[in-house]
Amino acid sequence: MTRFDSYLRSILERGAEEARKDGSATIEAHHLLLAIAAEPEPSTQEILTSAGLDYGSIHAALDREFEHSLSVAGVSRAAAGLPRPRGVPAHPRPGPSFKLAMERGVAALARKRDLRPAHLLLGILGAQVGTVPRALTLAGIDPADLRARVQQSLATDGEPRR
Amino acid sequence: MAGAEIPTAQELASQGLADRLAAVRALRRLADQLEVAAVEEAMRAGWSWPEVAEALGVTRQAVYKKHARRLIAAGVKLRRRSP
Repeated sequence: MTRFDSYLRSILERGAEEARKDGSATIEAHHLLLAIAAEPEPSTQEILTSAGLDYGSIHAALDREFEHSLSVAGVSRAAAGLPRPRGVPAHPRPGPSFKLAMERGVAALARKRDLRPAHLLLGILGAQVGTVPRALTLAGIDPADLRARVQQSLATDGEPRR
Repeated sequence: MAGAEIPTAQELASQGLADRLAAVRALRRLADQLEVAAVEEAMRAGWSWPEVAEALGVTRQAVYKKHARRLIAAGVKLRRRSP
């Protein structure tokens, strides 16, 4: 198993855990983003930190995005009187945004064996619309700027021999 | 970085659309959370699957498939599915 494979595996496990905590039957891109933020992997940690992001702030941004989107329809989570979802589905499956993120992360690359952790982040940030870019924007982060940071990190961080 | 000044009417309309689409997603998620909590409460209170299904306006099979495993895992004592 390559280093990337074992990284991917821990991200998927953690992503599934995030989905369960969220009460979601599917693992979505934002669960992967939380997983990446929770994983002590130097290159991705450096990128997130440079943008002022960590697990806690991403979590808060996602919560805010949820509240904000509900408010567009005149609804508030507090008014619905909900307890925080308790660990729900046993085996969340990859959802549509997860699949898109993986495609975008891998599509950036000619050869699969060149995959590095930051490519996963790049794939997630490839979304122009949806939960992740909305949450980042609400947190005052420009998704395009963050994407550029990832690209720069991938370019300078020893692109494997071509 | 090109001008982040005053958004054009088109940009505003597009933002409104993105908000409305995101609202749909958020409402689905909220509805799902409400369902999970309410079904669990109902089953703990001794409701039957057919009752819960009828109250939700879905089939028994649908509600069972969606919730049974989780409720069993959560240690909820379930009434028999069919009489």
